[in-house]
Amino acid sequence: MIRNTRMKRLSIASVAVTVGALVFSSLPAQAADPGVTSREIKLGYSGPLTGSAGLVYGKLPGAMKAYFDHINAKGGVNGRKIKLVSRDDKYLPTLAATQTTNLVLNDKVFALVGALGTATHSKAYVAASLAKKNVPDLFVNTGFSGFANKGKYPTTFTILPSYAMEAKIMAKFIKDTPTLAPQASFLIAQDDEFGVDGVNGFKLAGHKFAAAPTLYPQGGLSAALAEGALTKLSAVPGKPVLVLFGTTDTTATILKAAEKLSLVSKFTWIAGSVGGDANTLLALGVKPATINGALAASFFPDAKDATDPYVKAFMKINTKYNKGVTFDNVVLQGMNSAMLTVQALRAAGKNLTRAGLIKAIETKGANFASAGLVPLNYSATSRVGYNGYWFGQLNEKGELKPFGGKLSVYTTDSSSNTAPTASSYERKPVPKNGVPRNS
Amino acid sequence: MKNINLKKSLVALTTSALIAAFAVVVPTTAQAASTCDDQTVLAGKSSKIITFKKCVGTDYQGANYEIRMPKKFNGTLFLYSHGIRNQVLLPIIPGVNPDGVYSRVRNMPDVAPGRTVADQEANALNLLSQGYALAGASPRNQGWAVPEHIEANMNVLEEAKTLFPKINKIVSWGDSLGGHISQAMSEQFGVIDTTANLHMAGSAASQFNYAGDVFWLTKVLFDPTMKGSGYTNRFPNDPDGYKEFLGDVTKSLRVLNALATAIGKNPVAPAWPETATNIPASLKAVPVRSAILLLGLLSGIPTQSQTYDASSGPAGPLETTFGVAISPALAVLENYAAALALGVVSYYDAEIRCGGIVFDNTATDYAARLGDNGDVFAAALSGKTATNGLLAFLNPLNPAAKRVKGDAKAIECINDQSQYNGRITVPTITLSQTADNITPAGYVQSFKNNYSQMVALKKAKPGLLLNIWNKPPDTYTKFTAAGSGIAPNVPTTGTTHYMFTNKQVMAVAKLAAAAAKTGKLPSVKTAKSAFKGDSSIFIDPDFTPALLPQEE
Repeated sequence: MIRNTRMKRLSIASVAVTVGALVFSSLPAQAADPGVTSREIKLGYSGPLTGSAGLVYGKLPGAMKAYFDHINAKGGVNGRKIKLVSRDDKYLPTLAATQTTNLVLNDKVFALVGALGTATHSKAYVAASLAKKNVPDLFVNTGFSGFANKGKYPTTFTILPSYAMEAKIMAKFIKDTPTLAPQASFLIAQDDEFGVDGVNGFKLAGHKFAAAPTLYPQGGLSAALAEGALTKLSAVPGKPVLVLFGTTDTTATILKAAEKLSLVSKFTWIAGSVGGDANTLLALGVKPATINGALAASFFPDAKDATDPYVKAFMKINTKYNKGVTFDNVVLQGMNSAMLTVQALRAAGKNLTRAGLIKAIETKGANFASAGLVPLNYSATSRVGYNGYWFGQLNEKGELKPFGGKLSVYTTDSSSNTAPTASSYERKPVPKNGVPRNS
Repeated sequence: MKNINLKKSLVALTTSALIAAFAVVVPTTAQAASTCDDQTVLAGKSSKIITFKKCVGTDYQGANYEIRMPKKFNGTLFLYSHGIRNQVLLPIIPGVNPDGVYSRVRNMPDVAPGRTVADQEANALNLLSQGYALAGASPRNQGWAVPEHIEANMNVLEEAKTLFPKINKIVSWGDSLGGHISQAMSEQFGVIDTTANLHMAGSAASQFNYAGDVFWLTKVLFDPTMKGSGYTNRFPNDPDGYKEFLGDVTKSLRVLNALATAIGKNPVAPAWPETATNIPASLKAVPVRSAILLLGLLSGIPTQSQTYDASSGPAGPLETTFGVAISPALAVLENYAAALALGVVSYYDAEIRCGGIVFDNTATDYAARLGDNGDVFAAALSGKTATNGLLAFLNPLNPAAKRVKGDAKAIECINDQSQYNGRITVPTITLSQTADNITPAGYVQSFKNNYSQMVALKKAKPGLLLNIWNKPPDTYTKFTAAGSGIAPNVPTTGTTHYMFTNKQVMAVAKLAAAAAKTGKLPSVKTAKSAFKGDSSIFIDPDFTPALLPQEE
């Protein structure tokens, strides 16, 4: 039999523990951030390239790459060429987490740019340890106000105005428009943080809908449900205002339901910036006559407006470096984000570090040249990009023209009940040849 | 605990063959209990001849042990602790105890880890061929037998050192509860040079709270006739308590089958099971898959399983919807079976061990616990309104969701179980799976956090912990032409429980042995090099898996 030697072992243990309390005597020298060499800056993008969301947003990385190719052809940024690595997350949260992790760990990118979506990117941000690694998370395409929480997302800069801002400005637009204000208004919104942000924005603005919002889970509004909702609302007298706060595919489902029920002219349609892209609506089978007259919010010039200097410059780049791809709002958005990225990299200086890049956007980002018709709002305390909207009316060609013939830009915040105010913002001229020279 | 789907048939080596066993019993004067014989085997594809001495015996407390000493010994012994084994006898039950493995209490030792018995033997022979000695023990009592197993380990170590005085380095390793035992032993006794823990179990409290939440949520959402906890009397073989316990097993399986059938019939809007009698009609409008997912998120069951990657969908109109809204729920359901196995094998045993209810959710705020997952999985949860409705149903004021009041003494007993606390003083390596359904990844994060605290308190040495992760492929779900997921023949790497390859286990062993020799933890670079070309492994010190919801 083996004898019990517990006491002997305990004494050994206590000696070991006592001896074991050592402290660091030195730390290794800080290594250079990944993804940067003297010749190259490697950036990463995770978003939908395929699947249903890929049909709408699949052009984003191609547009960014085209702009970076344009910059590379002009010498790059401080002698470094920009390389964009794109990974397909199909707009699925778990896959977004995987792909973002792959970008950071396997592709060893210096920074992320243009990631798309709230559920996707919030999961990806944590899974890929972006905060711990201090990976700059540039110009995320979401209006979820939660990303403005610097404590939780210390390296993130969003580009879209928040959905709450959008709702507040929508409310003001309805209130200030004589043909809309007297009508009963209704909200059909996605039943997640996107829609909740919107609902909260309307509440902050004091807007009263005629009924509780119709909420549906993402991807959960079938044609039958849409037809049921519209049939119910068609009994409302007058020309009710119907606000659609969802993604473009759902806007299309609702508009097609209206077509089927011959209810298109019964309502005044207001589509949010996420769900109001005319090109996509037309591509999804909505009739041109249906979108004609619909109201939509935007912070960009219309991508079909070739008289706009930014649109013109980006169209030229698209023709040269993004061959065969139709220039539309998504391409415009992608190129604009790429141009902001180039300015951020320039502002960070030759000695490029992740911390330096973040600091550069905080201190100089509000003054970057941008296609947006509303101000950029980056600062040491604000991580939200654009902070305003203008309202336009779509025509049959899918062009968004300023409502009433005059561009009226409003700005506001996400969390106060202060009413939006008219903005006198004048954007900076487009950089010569589309190449920023800031520092 | 090994994957219950993996039948551990008797040793039937495919890559090695026993060619000779010289049954020469050489009892020594000092160690009369050990019976030793010399063995020579041909192992591996190259039929390498391995000669070693195998000693077996039983210590004074009834623990069985085994020691294998190679003829060409390099001075290092690997002491292996196996995972949890049942103390409660189970009849053969499909899905839980299909092959009768849990129909008897097994306390024969293992000397090396492996996914199957054959893998264990292959790994053992591999290490012997490199000159390492092996040892393992198994206590008379099983279940959450941490102190008993540590005692048995210390006894076999002493026996090994007595029999073979040339042992000068000890690597302690183990998997699942064995990893926990290995770590606790390393922290409590200064006789270990390096520790290597494979998919290490969490604390007793965290593991039983995990099981407790799974049981309680199953009862409240799907079958209120389940008992769930507080089994009568709780002493071994008590007929009433045992019947209640087996009744819950049966009911849980009935729920599982009903849920699987409902999703099979209508994956988009599956119906609730008939046994969900407390759920009001308004909530039954919510597809039951969302309730399954909510159960998983609130208890900590991973949203990736061996079949479902929470991303892929069958080609066609449902592709995206399946990936975003259906696949995570199916993954939870598939993992649920394993979580159930943990519950039935160990939870009842925990009540027996501590004499009362070891789970208490009277103060649990399940709505707060959902946290960011409510946004991330909003589509799969059928939207905020549906989620809020389900969470409201779980409110403690709802009589249909009566909370479990634990027994204070029993909970104290569970919390007092011998366990690790992060007081690391020797090189320590973990190898874990990102989507482990029995010991979720959050347990390792909890361990890391404890270690950081101990370092800050100067009760542990810094720079001694290396975490290695085994993950699934980016996407992996395969579908039939009809759109159903196809369960893989071999569970997907990174999922289920213990999906390490022998090559990965041997790489960890090599790193651990080197650390034992030098006293230094391998660098991340060295560790990465050891797994070069292995896409299922990543090493990222910044990786921070979510803590189990019970620990947040």
